[in-house]
Amino acid sequence: MSEYAVTMEHITKTFPGVKALDDVQLHLRSGEVMALLGENGAGKSTLMKILSGVYTRDSGDITVFGKKIEGDLNTKQAQDLGIAIIHQELNMCQHLTVANNMFLGRELVKNGRLDTKEMNRQAVEQLAKLGIHDLDPDAKVGDLTVGRQQMVEIAKALLINAKILVMDEPSSALSNAEITEMFRIVRELRAMGTAIVYISHRLQELHHIVDAVTIMRDGKYITEGRFEDFTMEQIIANMVGREITNQFPRDKVEKGKEILEVRHLNAGRMVRDVSFEVYEGEVLGFSGLVGAGRTETMRAVFGADAKDSGEIVLDGKTLVIKSPEDAIRQGIVLAPEDRKREGLCTKLSIRNNIALPNLDIICKGGFLGTINRKVEDDMVEKGKNSLTIKMAGPEIEAGSLSGGNQQKVVVAKWLARQSRVIIFDEPTRGIDVAAKVEIYEIINELKKEGVGVVIVSSEMPEVMGISDRILVMCNGRVTGEVDPRNTTEEEIMTYATQFGDNAE
Amino acid sequence: MKKNSFVSKYASVLTAFGGVIILMIIFTIMNKNFISGSNLPKLIRSICPYLLVGIGQGIVCITGNIDLSIGSVLGMSAMISATLICNGVNVILAVIIDLIACLAVGCVNGVLVGKFKLPPFIGTLGTMTICRGLAEIVNGNYNTGDIGNGKLQTGFRDLFYYGKVGPVYFGVIVALIVWFCFNYMMNYTRTGRHIYAIGSNVDAARLSGVNVFKTTTVAYLVSAFCSFMAGLVTMAAAGMGSMQAGLSYEMYGVAAAVIGGISTLGGSGYLIGVIAGASVWAILQNGLTLANVPVAMRNIIIGLIVVACVLIDIMRRSGIKIGGKK
Repeated sequence: MSEYAVTMEHITKTFPGVKALDDVQLHLRSGEVMALLGENGAGKSTLMKILSGVYTRDSGDITVFGKKIEGDLNTKQAQDLGIAIIHQELNMCQHLTVANNMFLGRELVKNGRLDTKEMNRQAVEQLAKLGIHDLDPDAKVGDLTVGRQQMVEIAKALLINAKILVMDEPSSALSNAEITEMFRIVRELRAMGTAIVYISHRLQELHHIVDAVTIMRDGKYITEGRFEDFTMEQIIANMVGREITNQFPRDKVEKGKEILEVRHLNAGRMVRDVSFEVYEGEVLGFSGLVGAGRTETMRAVFGADAKDSGEIVLDGKTLVIKSPEDAIRQGIVLAPEDRKREGLCTKLSIRNNIALPNLDIICKGGFLGTINRKVEDDMVEKGKNSLTIKMAGPEIEAGSLSGGNQQKVVVAKWLARQSRVIIFDEPTRGIDVAAKVEIYEIINELKKEGVGVVIVSSEMPEVMGISDRILVMCNGRVTGEVDPRNTTEEEIMTYATQFGDNAE
Repeated sequence: MKKNSFVSKYASVLTAFGGVIILMIIFTIMNKNFISGSNLPKLIRSICPYLLVGIGQGIVCITGNIDLSIGSVLGMSAMISATLICNGVNVILAVIIDLIACLAVGCVNGVLVGKFKLPPFIGTLGTMTICRGLAEIVNGNYNTGDIGNGKLQTGFRDLFYYGKVGPVYFGVIVALIVWFCFNYMMNYTRTGRHIYAIGSNVDAARLSGVNVFKTTTVAYLVSAFCSFMAGLVTMAAAGMGSMQAGLSYEMYGVAAAVIGGISTLGGSGYLIGVIAGASVWAILQNGLTLANVPVAMRNIIIGLIVVACVLIDIMRRSGIKIGGKK
């Protein structure tokens, strides 16, 4: 009847106090990959949760394969209609095998016993359809890389005969090789006639797979069309509602004296003889593939992981850093990669989160470490203003903020103290363009103030745009140093793939 | 707006206090004696041991751990102090030695859980068993005799149990002082913030410079201190040391904390809730006794009410969560 696999018209959804979706529409064809774009909090996830039956709509029409959905849709119905979601955070039982996970809740039973053999056989068959032939169905999911886990999740969706697949930020945790692999599978699925909704903030990767785009902003539908009809600037402009002329504002600052020197740092398998210096007035970027040892290096410098050997010299003084506490007190701080797991106490208020690492300042001179409310208020206020954190008030739970605002809280808590070196690990992962620009501006601001800034980023345009100097890591070693003003992505990639000892 | 946020922040606490009032009304209807001048002060005094262990367990729960050794430390505290006093040791000195012994247990718990990362359930299960053994062994496997009626002994009994200011028993004042101190610590000091932080997200707390080992140990020390105090109250009440003192009190502590809105998963809850939680527990014990409900029946009813309380709280919370999600 209809040429569309899914149409959603005039969808409205209100949560107490927030209109999450306001008259939104979406049209998805079979055998097509559609990018659903928008800033964090634009309503993409809410819309997809309505499609998959997690939330119920207040009003609007949903049609799936020409059949109009009457009444509320629940997750079971959605599954029966062939709708499956691959979430940003993978929902896998880490201790179960690949086959167990794929058949979770639908286990095959023969004579009252689990038919493991048949399940393994079918699991292998499904994976083969995706062109994956080297994955043992008996392997524990927890032992696989994130990329591989995602493949299992996709195979699981195919097993329930998914005709409509929603992928929420699938590439955010993958290495480049894994992304390439995932794209190949997405193309495979498209060829099979699956309709795919692809949600991603990595706009640069869209051209590899995307056929159509739908753009949302602030819970409203903005535009849709064929991907080739848009330029990147138009897409960004539609997402943020204004032209962002300079996506990576790099300010020129005179390079000053050396602040931090890391000498011959070794820490486990992923940090091998790493040395680098950070100067006043420069942003030092760390590039490389996911798993190159950049995060591990930063964690070792910061004292979060144990060091095997190596020296850390700050302003000419050799430091003893055994814990993050030591690093913070001596002027080195780290905004970690995974904000939900490492950056924030999500159950605590924004106020408490910003104050947490700065209680030494806030409690100065207080009786038995009593909190000086006034100092704390000022600090929270300052953090809020310098980063325009959108919030109902500083007392609300940090976990209730959108991703971009959560990241701003993580950054804000480190700005409150006078640190010498600030390390940002993937500071813009999974956050929207406007929030990204704000973080870049903060980084530039710090640079001007003479703070040493280190940024680890897997987004090539970002690290090339914001850094003054880039170190490339591969397999736990520094394999190259480049000047971002006259380098190419290809050159960085060459260094980033110098595996093995022949690098020297 | 301001009022609303107050209500939502303290919703669990307010629910618990609501429960206290409802129970008070029910038992008053059932038996006029319930809020009589002779029962009420005793009822309030009977809250004290539950409040004390509830404070300790509550704080440990906020760190995301649990302390199973509370009841045994309580028993140990009662037995050590009573044995020493019976053997002629000066009361004050006996209490000090007792305090040191109890805090040592807190330290051990802190090291096991905070340093060696033992699962708190297992680590404190070990100290629980050891401390019960110690409680039994101090007086050679016998309960102690009466601590006597010397000046200090009588003072001790009055301070922790029998003495009164107006209608209020001293024991209540002692428990409230302990509550005030730790409530202050939890809400207004750096240590309190650290305790909430490690309970909410231990990795994030560590990366924010929180010393997890130190903070965990402080929580277990507080718990041991509260058990020590509860042990003194129990001993003063009986006038002797009983090897059975404090049996199951770690669970009463959990009940008082959880009814009062503290999550056993850590990171949330307020000590003010423990007052309500401990009250609910004590009121049920006292009210059902006055109503001549047999012991076995009493236990069943109390168990059901505890489960119901927590269930209601969880349902209320998850309701808020679904509504508040974007």
